[in-house]
Amino acid sequence: MVAAKKTKKTHESINNRLALVMKSGKYTLGYKTVLKTLRNSKGKLVIIANNCPPLRKSEIEYYAMLAKVGVHHYNGNNVDLGTACGKYYRVCCLSIIDPGDSDIIKSMPGGDH
Amino acid sequence: MVKFLKPGKAVVVLQGRYAGRKAVIVRNFDDGTRDRPYGHCLVAGIKKYPAKVVKKDSAKKTAKKSRVKAFVKLVNYRHLMPTRYTLDVDLKDAVAVDSLQSKDQKVTAAKEAKKRLEERFKTGKNRWFFTKLRF
Repeated sequence: MVAAKKTKKTHESINNRLALVMKSGKYTLGYKTVLKTLRNSKGKLVIIANNCPPLRKSEIEYYAMLAKVGVHHYNGNNVDLGTACGKYYRVCCLSIIDPGDSDIIKSMPGGDH
Repeated sequence: MVKFLKPGKAVVVLQGRYAGRKAVIVRNFDDGTRDRPYGHCLVAGIKKYPAKVVKKDSAKKTAKKSRVKAFVKLVNYRHLMPTRYTLDVDLKDAVAVDSLQSKDQKVTAAKEAKKRLEERFKTGKNRWFFTKLRF
């Protein structure tokens, strides 16, 4: 099975890029704001945790498909995603509005589903 | 990054009396108005879907079954589910925001919308829009 196995290296690099976005860019955390940014076409990349409920995941993916925004399925649950964002709470989905100095959007266009 | 809530987009109303009904966006108010300080849009939707027409129905029965009852409403973006379908029906002159001020204006707007939607249904196009969403 030639599955696109997420190696440790790429996982770390996503974390690094996310950290840079948190520091220098604009983002929103949480399902309601993610949909809001997708509706007003401000969001540029959406990251979803792996334990996001499947209905919610499908809904975000559908909105992102309509808005032609990439979706990245984070290799970790909402606890890990919250930690990766440097927050002390769980984050199930987040939307990057302005990547700042990070190249997170260029390095994963369309997202690797 | 593409704006998709545009006039002509088919949406499904999620909340309220018309929950589960399909509608088409007539006009957007992305930044809201003074009365509604949130993103909302004017939609015209189907209140009562046309019934299934069978080949052995008489012409009178077909006409009766192909009737569409429409509604016009201002809906918050949060209470809509956008779809990938569009319905390019010209409803802009028929349905305007000020047609929601009084009851009889609303009725005439809904009647106009009904007429346009019915003629679109009779052409057989946009079949998805006129089928009831099963849930």
